[in-house]
Amino acid sequence: MNKIKVKNLHFTYSGGQEVLTGLNLHFDDRSTAIIGQNGAGKTTFVKLLKGLLKPIQGDVWIKGFNTKEHTVASLARHIGLVFQNPNDQIFKSRVIDEVMFGPLNIGQVEQEAKKNAVNALDMVGLSGQAEENPYDLSLSDRKLVSIASIVAMNTDILIFDEPTIAQDFCGREKIKKIISHLRKEGKLIITIIHDMDFVAETFERTIVFHRGMVLLDGEPREVFSQEQELREAYLEQPHVTRLAKKLGIKETLLTAEELIDYVKKPG
Amino acid sequence: MKTLSLYQPGRSIIHKIDPVTKLLFIILAIFVPIIIGTWGAALLTLLISLSFILIGRVFKKVLPILGFSSIIILSVIIIQGLFYVNNKAPLFTLGPVTVYREGFYYALNIALRIYNILVAVSILVLTTKPSDLIEALVRKGFSPRIGYIFSSVLQIIPQMMSTVDTISDAQRSRGLETEGRLSARIKAFFPLIGPVVMNSLISTRERAMALEVRAFNSKRKKTFLHEEVKTGYSRFLQFILLAILLAAIVWRVLS
Amino acid sequence: MKRLVVEDLKYRYPLSQELALNDISFAVEKGEFIGIVGPNGAGKSTLCQAITGLAPNFLKGAYGGRVLVDGMEVAKEEIAEIATHVGIVFQNPFTQIAGSKLTVFEEVAFGLENLGIPRYEMKKRIEEALELLDIAALRDRNPFDLSGGQMQRLAIAGIIAMKPEIIVLDEPTSQLDPQGSEEVFQAVQNLSREGMTVLMVEHKIEKIAAYADKVLLLCAGKLIDFERPPKVFSREDLEDYGIAPPVFTRVCKKLNIKTADGLYPVTLKEAYDKVVKILE
Ligand SMILES: Nc1ncnc2c1ncn2[C@@H]1O[C@H](COP(=O)(O)OP(=O)(O)OP(=O)(O)O)[C@@H](O)[C@H]1O
Ligand SMILES: Nc1ncnc2c1ncn2[C@@H]1O[C@H](COP(=O)(O)OP(=O)(O)OP(=O)(O)O)[C@@H](O)[C@H]1O
Ligand SMILES: [Mg+2]
Ligand SMILES: [Mg+2]
Repeated sequence: MNKIKVKNLHFTYSGGQEVLTGLNLHFDDRSTAIIGQNGAGKTTFVKLLKGLLKPIQGDVWIKGFNTKEHTVASLARHIGLVFQNPNDQIFKSRVIDEVMFGPLNIGQVEQEAKKNAVNALDMVGLSGQAEENPYDLSLSDRKLVSIASIVAMNTDILIFDEPTIAQDFCGREKIKKIISHLRKEGKLIITIIHDMDFVAETFERTIVFHRGMVLLDGEPREVFSQEQELREAYLEQPHVTRLAKKLGIKETLLTAEELIDYVKKPG
Repeated sequence: MKTLSLYQPGRSIIHKIDPVTKLLFIILAIFVPIIIGTWGAALLTLLISLSFILIGRVFKKVLPILGFSSIIILSVIIIQGLFYVNNKAPLFTLGPVTVYREGFYYALNIALRIYNILVAVSILVLTTKPSDLIEALVRKGFSPRIGYIFSSVLQIIPQMMSTVDTISDAQRSRGLETEGRLSARIKAFFPLIGPVVMNSLISTRERAMALEVRAFNSKRKKTFLHEEVKTGYSRFLQFILLAILLAAIVWRVLS
Repeated sequence: MKRLVVEDLKYRYPLSQELALNDISFAVEKGEFIGIVGPNGAGKSTLCQAITGLAPNFLKGAYGGRVLVDGMEVAKEEIAEIATHVGIVFQNPFTQIAGSKLTVFEEVAFGLENLGIPRYEMKKRIEEALELLDIAALRDRNPFDLSGGQMQRLAIAGIIAMKPEIIVLDEPTSQLDPQGSEEVFQAVQNLSREGMTVLMVEHKIEKIAAYADKVLLLCAGKLIDFERPPKVFSREDLEDYGIAPPVFTRVCKKLNIKTADGLYPVTLKEAYDKVVKILE
C-alpha cells in the first residue's frame, strides 16, 4: 500500500527560485534513501511531506490525508521527522521530557509515553542521560536525542534528515540497526543522507534528487551502477563499488563482504 | 531560523541617512518632549517620526510593532484610569467602574512617550542594515563591543521572532496544536516562553564565540567592505538636531 | 621552529568530574595536514577549542599544560588575537554565522574587516573563497536562509578567506554532498601545500587516509597515536578505540594482504595495486 503519494509538487520559498519543480512520487514500505547535492531540495521536500511547508502547486497525501487540509499537529500521529539541525528540534531542559513531549501530545497516556521514551533512549544508547539537559550534551548525542524523540512517537512513517551527522562508527551502526528494526515493524523509513556506503549497506530503494527533480529512482545497486548520472548529481559511488570498478569487475558490488567473496571465489 | 533583522531594503531618502544621525534623532525624540513637557511637543514629535516612517515606505512594518505594544499600553491606561493614586475627578462611569481623569491623562502621557520611542527606534531599525550601524559606530571611534551591543539589542526582537518560529515548528511537528482557533493559539503560546528565553540565552553565547573566532574584538585597525556612505548633508542634519535639542533645553531653563 | 606545540595539555569542563583532555602532547610543522580521529566524546572538539584558546579563555574550567602557536602561549593571549593566527570552523556551522550581515558575501567579509585587510584585497579573497566552496551563486542570499550544506560551505569559506597560519576544522564536511566533501579535502590539502597548517577532525576515515599526512588518534581524552595513516589504521587494537579502519583496509585484512612495510593498504589506490595482482 502506498503510505505517501506526491503529485505534481511545486515549491518556492518567498522571493526565491523554484526549489521543487513538479515531483511525482509514491512511497510504499521499502526503506528509502534520498540523496543529492547540497541545495537540491531534499530538506524542503521532507518538510512538505511533514506538512510544515505547504505545496505552491500539486498535492501531498500522507496515508490518504492531504497535507493542505490538515494541521501539522494532526498529521504528527502518522509521520515523524527528525530535523537536520538538532538545535532546531530540541527545546526542553531534560532529555526525558524532550523525548516524552511527542508521545504525550499525540494521545499516548503518561505510562505508555514513558515506556516508549525509555525504550527509544535505550535504542540510541542514552538511557544514562535521561535526566540531563540536552544542551549539555555534545552535538552527536543531541542528534541521538532528536532521533529518540521521534522514534518514541511510534508513527507509521519516520523521516530522518541526515541522521549520521557527527556520529562515529558505533553511532552509524546504531542508526543502521534502528532503521532495520523499524523497517521490520512495518514502518516506512525515509532517510536523507550523504554517506553513500551507508546507503549501499542499508536501504532497499534510493532516490536521487537533482535541482528539484528526481534524477534516478530504484534499488541501490541499480542506482549506484549509473556512474555518469551520479556525477551529474554531485554524488559518488560507494568506496567498494569504486574499487571493484577499478579492478575491472563488471558487476556493481556494494559492500566489503561482496568484494571479499568475489575475490575469494575460485576462478 | 531566518533573517535576524527587521531591516527593509529600500532606496528612500531615509534609508540613505547615516545611522549616527538616526541615533541622534532617537535621542531627540525621547528627550525633547520630556524637556518641553507639553502635550503638543510630544504629539508633534510623534507626527514627525511617523512622517519619516512614511517617507521610508516602511509603514506596514511598524504596524505590527505598534499593534503589539498597544495591547500593553491599553492595559496601562485602564489600570491607571481606575487605580492611579492621585485619582480625584471622575472622567466617565461605565456601570460599576469609574475611570478618573488624572490617571487617564497620566497613562495617556506614558502611552505617547512609549509610542514616541517605538516609532523613533523603528526608523533606525527598519531602514538601517545592522552591520551599517556597527560600522558607523566603529568608524566614529567606538569600540566594536559597543557597536555589537547596540546591534544585538536591536536584533533581540527579530531573533526572538525567529526562535518562536523554530520552536513552534518543533512543537507542532510533535503534535502540539498551534494552528486554527484562537484558543488553540493562546494555549500554544505559553509552552513557548521558557524555551524561547533559554534558546536566546544559548544563541547569544554561541554568537559571542563566533565573533571571537572571527577576530571581532581584535585590536587591529578594522577595514570595511563597503565604503562609508557620506551624505553631504549628514553633518548639517546632525547640526540641526543638536540645535533643536539645545533650544529645547534653553527654552526650559528660561521659562 | 614548530608551528604548533601542545605540551602536557589537561582540561576539565566546569562542573565536570572527568578530564576531557588528559595529558596531551604533540607538535605540528608548518604545512602539515593532521587528521584527528576518535569516537564520540573522545575530546576532539575540546582539543580544537584548546588550540584556539576558547578553552580556557571562553569556556572556563581547569586547565594545565601549554599550547604554543609560533611560540606564543594561547592561554595567555586574548582569543581575538589568537584568531588572527588560528582559524576554527565549528562542528555545527549554524553557530559560526556572525549574524549581523545580510548576505553571504558580507558574511565572508566579516572576518577580513576585523583583520584590517584592504578593500581590494578583501574582495579578491572573498571571490576566491566563494569559488573554492562553490557558493559564488549564493553571494546575495541571506546566510540564514541556506540549506545545511550550503551553510557549512559558508562557514568554511569565512575562515579560509582569513588565511590563518593554522586552520582547525571540526568535521567540516559532515553535511556536504560527496563531491563537495572531496573538493574540501582537496582544497585543504592545497592550502597545506602552500604552507597553511591544517588540523581536521573527521569521521570520514577513507578521506583522512587519502589526504592527511599524519593521524592523531584520540580516545577518552588521551592521545593514543600520532603517526602516518597506514601505521595508525593498521593497528590491530584500532577498534578498541572506537575506530573502524578504512573499508579498503578491512577488505585487505580479510584477504590477508599487506604492503611491503608489513602494514595494510589504507587508500583505494594502495588496495587496488595489491588486489589486482590476486585477481590476475
Ligand atoms: N528559508 C529559506 N528561504 C529561502 N531559500 C531557502 C530556504 N531554505 C532553503 N532554501 C533554498 O532552497 C534550496 C533547497 O534547500 P534544501 O534545504 O531543501 O536543500 P537540501 O537538499 O536539503 O540541501 P543540504 O544537503 O545542503 O541539506 C537551496 O538552494 C536553499 O538555499
Ligand atoms: N560544555 C561541556 N560541559 C561539560 N562537559 C562537556 C562539555 N562539552 C563536552 N563535554 C564532555 O567532554 C568530553 C569530550 O567532548 P568533545 O565534544 O570534545 O568530544 P568529541 O570528540 O568532539 O565528540 P563528538 O565526536 O561527539 O563531536 C565528552 O565526555 C563530553 O561529554
Ligand atoms: Mg538538507
Ligand atoms: Mg566534536
